[in-house]
Amino acid sequence: MTTLAEPPTSDDIAIAEPRLRSAIRHVVTTAWLLPSAALLIGLFIIPTCYAVYLGFTNLELLGQYAQNYNFTGLANLQRMIHDPTFWLSVKLTLIFVIGSGVIAQTVLGLALALLGQRVNVIVRSSVGAIVILAWVLPEITVAFVWYSFSQAGGTLSHLFGAPNSDLLSTVPMLVVSMANAWRGTAFSMLLLSAGLRNVPREVDEAAQLEGAGYWRRLFTVTLPIMRPTLMINLLLITLATISDFTLIFAMTQGGPGNQTAILPVYMYIEAFQFNQLGYGTTIALTLVLIGAILSIAYIRQLRPELQASTS
Amino acid sequence: MAKIVLRRVTKSFGQKVAVDDLNLEVEDGEFVIVVGPSGCGKTTTLRMIAGFETPNMGTLHIGGTVMNHVPPKDRNLAMVFQNYALFPHMSVERNLSFGLRIRHTSKKEINTQVHEIAEMLDIRPLLDRKPAQLSGGERQRVALGRALLRKPQAFLLDEPLSNLDAALRTQMRFELKRIHAQFPVTTVYVTHDQVEAMTMADRIVLMNHGELQQVAPPETLYAEPVNVFAAGFIGSPKINLVSARIDHSGGGSALRCLATAIPVTTEIADQLRSAQSQTVTIGIRPEDILPQSPMDDAPGRAVISGTVEVIEPLGAETHIAVRVGDDILTCRTPPRSGLEMGSTVNLSFDIEQATIFDGTSGLRLC
Amino acid sequence: MSADQLVTTEREVTAPAVVRKRRSLARPVLNVFMIVIGLVFLLPLLWLILASFNPSADGTLAMPHPFSLLNYHLVIRAGAGAAIRNSLYLAGVSTVIATAVSTMAGFMLARRKIRFKGLVLVLILFLTGLPITLLLIPTYQIFVHLNWLNSRFYTSLVLASMSVPFSIWLLKNFIGQVPGEFEEAAAIEGASEISILFRIVIPLIIPGILVAAILTFINSWGSFLIPLVLDANPSDTPGAVGIYQFMSANGQVQFGQLAAYSVLFSVPVIILYLISSRWLSGGFSFAGGVKG
Repeated sequence: MTTLAEPPTSDDIAIAEPRLRSAIRHVVTTAWLLPSAALLIGLFIIPTCYAVYLGFTNLELLGQYAQNYNFTGLANLQRMIHDPTFWLSVKLTLIFVIGSGVIAQTVLGLALALLGQRVNVIVRSSVGAIVILAWVLPEITVAFVWYSFSQAGGTLSHLFGAPNSDLLSTVPMLVVSMANAWRGTAFSMLLLSAGLRNVPREVDEAAQLEGAGYWRRLFTVTLPIMRPTLMINLLLITLATISDFTLIFAMTQGGPGNQTAILPVYMYIEAFQFNQLGYGTTIALTLVLIGAILSIAYIRQLRPELQASTS
Repeated sequence: MAKIVLRRVTKSFGQKVAVDDLNLEVEDGEFVIVVGPSGCGKTTTLRMIAGFETPNMGTLHIGGTVMNHVPPKDRNLAMVFQNYALFPHMSVERNLSFGLRIRHTSKKEINTQVHEIAEMLDIRPLLDRKPAQLSGGERQRVALGRALLRKPQAFLLDEPLSNLDAALRTQMRFELKRIHAQFPVTTVYVTHDQVEAMTMADRIVLMNHGELQQVAPPETLYAEPVNVFAAGFIGSPKINLVSARIDHSGGGSALRCLATAIPVTTEIADQLRSAQSQTVTIGIRPEDILPQSPMDDAPGRAVISGTVEVIEPLGAETHIAVRVGDDILTCRTPPRSGLEMGSTVNLSFDIEQATIFDGTSGLRLC
Repeated sequence: MSADQLVTTEREVTAPAVVRKRRSLARPVLNVFMIVIGLVFLLPLLWLILASFNPSADGTLAMPHPFSLLNYHLVIRAGAGAAIRNSLYLAGVSTVIATAVSTMAGFMLARRKIRFKGLVLVLILFLTGLPITLLLIPTYQIFVHLNWLNSRFYTSLVLASMSVPFSIWLLKNFIGQVPGEFEEAAAIEGASEISILFRIVIPLIIPGILVAAILTFINSWGSFLIPLVLDANPSDTPGAVGIYQFMSANGQVQFGQLAAYSVLFSVPVIILYLISSRWLSGGFSFAGGVKG
């Protein structure tokens, strides 16, 4: 260590940090990052890459192609394109996601959020609590409850005026969609309530001054301001619903026949009931692709707001 | 207690140079205030002394030892942060004793010292409370207490009064001076408020755009500012700065400004010759401009005439802004001077009392 | 007078009676409307609870005559207790691993300069959106090769890694919001890095850690597909799979017992949610530590 008695001779002095201390720092930082990295790489990234490969093989659960499987190029894709069940599955998935997810949950969630602004505090808290309770329940419980409800003799059948019919056989998509909407509305309600709170009161008051009525204000002022929140909500609902397995599988196993076989369920059936692991992976990859396309579409919608907030 | 020396210290963040080639010596026990506008590099300098930033170039010495890469915990300094940084999950007592507990001081010793400091700073009744339950002034005193307790070799304070209301600020200024008298520890204090600097500092360190402008005791900085920036920054109301042309025609030399020609002595004329250009800036303190009754004589003083634009009565005195051609001069007058907005008034000043700066470089000529 | 009042006054001058009625009818009507929605949502829940106490329950909403705990006894005897213990293991182990690992990573990402940090953060955000459906089959294959199938522990590991991306993201943002001045103040007071970590940092980030832990626990608790595929060991069956098997097991669906099973299975999660929601809405503030 130099003392002041010896003034430095060179004009520019840069004293280097002790090597040991910065080395220790680097080691500690790396050590703390390592466990997550190991988990994510080993159980997330590697399986994903493996999936991309497996989707193009003829791997099977049992039998001769379980141990020795081959790369089969585009064979799985060809099979998929010519598979009518696959296309049915895609259609069902889109109906499920858009119908019970995007439309039902958003509309209900928005309605509850809007109502929540104007009603009695007690009403808002208790109804809110009930809706949220439906969301917190484990998915298998939701499946079981709605399963029971729609059995012949169940309350739902009674409400529908057909007490002796098993609704899951007659209108399976409707029932599972209702179950999913019942379960997921709380999320939209919470997200959109927060979004509503962020709409500045003065803007709504200015619109009132201009003479705009409630519905006009809602559609021309409030909702446009909430566009980013709405988009994010749609994105999250889509991603969550498109890969939802438990609810439908537990209620119908994809049936009757294939009437509720959305893509995740179809994938499971092909992979673990018909032993087609390779083909199942191809279906899964397609699912992810659809999800990615939808996500990009939503994010594009969000881009003007994102740019504005970062400029 | 220690002397702090910065030699050719430079610090950049990416492309931006925050502190440029700074040379500064703070004497043992001295109370130094680093002042300047936002972004002038004062906080960066303080953080380098503390050890939260490392100089890119140059050396930092504390107590005779080079400290560039010594971690903050080993520098034996104490700091009062801009936002106090009181640990929110600990009581006042535990906040105060934190440093002592780290050093494994005995419980008894901790107790004695904490109560002593609490007594001195009048925060005894607050010892069991959490920071969230204290007022701004109380939190500030706890932060001070935490700093004082460890008997460090230097104190660093980062704009400690900026969030207090005016009355509390004045009170705390007295407190700080009193504490420094009692514990004459080397202190480096950073602020953007020149009033704090003038009232509390042994010496003021004035910075702008990362560069050191001037280091001097308050009175010197006020009377002999080294450049236009220094003259303009220190002093309230702000010094009057007037552009003038040097005129060597005619018998002697004169300065042309304010719609008149002010003759200057040969001494001043000689000093003016070292100017880079023909224009200079004249700095006149508001208290040096006096209203001049047309009846009286004003030997040796320049007399100008202007219109009153603004009158600001402050009680003990009144500030008036007078328009003279393109310039507006501020001067301090006794209260109830009888002047009205829009009225014409004569002002006089002595050029010998003014400071003249080079019109291009801004440096003081005389 | 506010602008609102101005408009109201004008309206009242022209058509007072109508406007008044419309305005004061609104609130009660809305209240009723919302209550109706609430009741519709309540129906299934009500059925579940009532059916669990009803030994002769079916799919209809009905009051139990008599109220009895028989379903609970039966279903616990049939294995619900063991299944819930398994769920506890899976959720517990995966939570401990995921939270510990994510806190360490989140801390480093929030506080230290790391090469390619931006890229890593985007990657992590991207991973939060990947569905398990994609990872299921390859993970199964890998487990076959490694002989990790039918193990509660390795299944927990998978559950943990599913939660890690979101937990890292949550903790990194949370820790990033804790002002760095506390650590600086502690440093200048002489505390070593370890000391700062345990005396200052950890106490301040505990709320964030708890939120991440609770969310992971809730997710892992209800997990169905992963244990179904990765662990076929009957003694390892967790609650969700257990309920499903019970549904399809006997000839006739045992509504009452299954309702009891479901209630038992759902209660822990509901309690956890209640606890954490108080924190979440209470917000995390560092009041008093910093000015303003």
